[in-house]
Amino acid sequence: MTDLTSFPAPPPVPAQGMDIAFVGSRSSLFWLALKTGFLTVLTLGFYRFWMKTRLRRWYWSAIRPGGHPMEYVGDPWEKLLGFFIAVVILTFYIGIVNLILMFVSFSVFNSSWVGYLASFAGVIPIWFYALYRARRYVLGRTRWRGVRFGLEPGAMGYAVRALVHWMATILTLGILWPNMTFQLEKYRTDRTFFGSAKLHQGGHWWMLYRAALPMIFVVLIAGLFALWVMRLDPLTQDMVAFVEDYMENGDEAFLRITGVSNVWRLWLVIPLLLGLLYGAIHYRFASKRILANHKTAEGIAFQSVLSGPRVSVIYILGTFIAYTFLVLGVIVVFGVAAATLGPQVLIETQIGSENPLAGLPRALSFVILAVLYLSVFLMWGVLHNAFVTYPLMRHMALTTSLLDISGLAQISQRARDEFAEAEGFAEALDLGAAI
Amino acid sequence: MTVPPPVPDADRMSFNGTGSSYFDGDNPVPRPVTLTVDRRAGNLEIGLPGSGVETAVWPLRDIRMLGDQPRKQSVMLRSVGDPLARLLLANPDVLPYLPNLRRRAPPKGRGRLAVWATIAVAAVAVQIGILVPLLADSLANYIPRAGERALGEATFSQIREALAETEFAPLALCERPEGRAALQTMIEKLTVPLNLEQPVSVFVLNHEMVNAFALPGGFVVLFRGLIEAAEGPDEVAAVLAHEIGHVVSRDPTRHALRSAGSIGVLGLLFGDFAGGAAVLFLTERLISAQYSQGAELAADKFAFDALENADVSPAAVGDMFERLRAKYGDRDGVVAHFLTHPTLTERIDAARAAATEGAVYEQILTNAEWQQLETICAARSRPD
Repeated sequence: MTDLTSFPAPPPVPAQGMDIAFVGSRSSLFWLALKTGFLTVLTLGFYRFWMKTRLRRWYWSAIRPGGHPMEYVGDPWEKLLGFFIAVVILTFYIGIVNLILMFVSFSVFNSSWVGYLASFAGVIPIWFYALYRARRYVLGRTRWRGVRFGLEPGAMGYAVRALVHWMATILTLGILWPNMTFQLEKYRTDRTFFGSAKLHQGGHWWMLYRAALPMIFVVLIAGLFALWVMRLDPLTQDMVAFVEDYMENGDEAFLRITGVSNVWRLWLVIPLLLGLLYGAIHYRFASKRILANHKTAEGIAFQSVLSGPRVSVIYILGTFIAYTFLVLGVIVVFGVAAATLGPQVLIETQIGSENPLAGLPRALSFVILAVLYLSVFLMWGVLHNAFVTYPLMRHMALTTSLLDISGLAQISQRARDEFAEAEGFAEALDLGAAI
Repeated sequence: MTVPPPVPDADRMSFNGTGSSYFDGDNPVPRPVTLTVDRRAGNLEIGLPGSGVETAVWPLRDIRMLGDQPRKQSVMLRSVGDPLARLLLANPDVLPYLPNLRRRAPPKGRGRLAVWATIAVAAVAVQIGILVPLLADSLANYIPRAGERALGEATFSQIREALAETEFAPLALCERPEGRAALQTMIEKLTVPLNLEQPVSVFVLNHEMVNAFALPGGFVVLFRGLIEAAEGPDEVAAVLAHEIGHVVSRDPTRHALRSAGSIGVLGLLFGDFAGGAAVLFLTERLISAQYSQGAELAADKFAFDALENADVSPAAVGDMFERLRAKYGDRDGVVAHFLTHPTLTERIDAARAAATEGAVYEQILTNAEWQQLETICAARSRPD
């Protein structure tokens, strides 16, 4: 890394770089994930605090800047405590608010959808709040070379900013998305510490448009495609009638379509969707790279050479593996359910008249089904860890380096962030399911 | 690169410290080390040459290895006495001299944890067991009829679509006019003496299931299979009266509101773990089963009175349950006790007891009307 910093005019302190190593094999992670996941299923979810802690400990110490492992010192017991605290605080809010929203939805709007939508919307601000708190907890429990990281308090401000930026992004149809990415990351980075050193996010928000180029390209192509299919050479002579028919009668409308030309073009939707997927993943990770390249602290600079295509391949392939297993597994579960219990049960479930413990032989098949069902999800989680999280972490670690570490000698320890509720809110609200 | 100690001493052993680093817990700078185990004192002496800092001394029994490290060759050690300092060990030779490497720290603040666990369990219990049902029960009375009706309609069409055999049309309703007329007679006999606030809409679904249910907004739905299984009109009337009981006490609406509240709370508990959705669903079912037992008994009670008013024997409720028991088997025994759910046997006994001793009851429909009702699904059953 020194080649990039050997400028003609020598800096006062010769800047020294540092690479990040990643040790640890996929198989050892696989077994750790399997073991902890199994215990989680066995304990009906209680072990998940230990599972999360142990996986993080593994990942963190696999990442070794300058050969020295990062360390995760989070404690499952404090996570459990935080979870209890969050449950106490949230249970009244969620229960009562949901019920009242449902009531208003029934009485005023004559449907349940408004209620579901509103209760979802009501959780969004808490969601952002919880995200920031969770990050603060994780950073506060992360050390490298014995020195703590930290994030200043500021969850409320983060939630407000996140809401405003999301609003702006939606109102501008996504054009301001890079601004949101940048400002939110800057908010977090500028409050991040390593020991006594404060990080700083430099750069401008528009530099992130470069990360969005594949996305912009695909969106333009999709627009042209829509224009072609709808206007220039319409699929059907009477597009309006077809759309109305479709709205009213669903798929049946396809049977009545008239004056069709070149229906094969609809197949192009598949590559377009894949393109959009690629664009989204590319943006997510390429923006991380650009942002990392503009992060500094006193005497410390980062560099990332993360590869967008590589990350996308990892992401899509790994997700595909995990989800294929999940879908096949769920099909098997349904097959077994139909075979052991008869199709009746699936219907009774619909109208809510089944009694899961109606008789012992039936209860037994329910137990078998439950075990099967949980194992499918367990394996899904394990595969996701082994084929998505692991390769992503490794790629990100190996492609990141520190260009300048002359500031490290001046850094000293920071005080411990006592944090009673840990990441309880995020846990209760089902955030950060990955790691 | 270790320098042998000047005076050979059996109790002092030196180890290769090459590649190992000590972190003092203040400054993120690795310090090269010399490692010496003093067995008499029971200490590991971590010499820090060239740093101007004196040797760090860690008692051997206080040294722990960090857990879940991916590489066994180079491991991170810490000492109980100094929570911040770390020793990254490149050479595992010294490990056999550390007796308590894997001893776990006792969980801190167990009392506090227990307190919060109790509060959390209590909060969820109070919420699901008291507040949500209370609120649901009282709010259910304020939902306008139109809203309730729309909710029931939406649920009804969902159920019809779920039960449909083809993709294109929902499950057919049975509407042969003569059968409907007989059904109408039955409904009127049961409901006219009651002066119901809410009109009851009864539908028959063309499906072989022996079942019936009530939905918000006064919907009562019977399955063809139930009418076929019944031995006479009184047994159908018994089921109808039971479901009308649910309508009158607005059970379906209260149930819908209650699950909206309790699903939200349970979601907090099971949210973030694989397959949690299924556990959530089952728990919700069990909770509502606990609630519905009260509602079922109340609806039974209602049915007894309604049948009595219509001059039909309440024992018909018991006869219908007998029919169900023959078809689906008994729910008595261990499981029933575990659920404390009223068993069919208890309900049959209650129904038989509700019939007035020695009273003469009539049949709710004439035999001719009953024949029409039995064939309500025949011939002209059309999708609506």
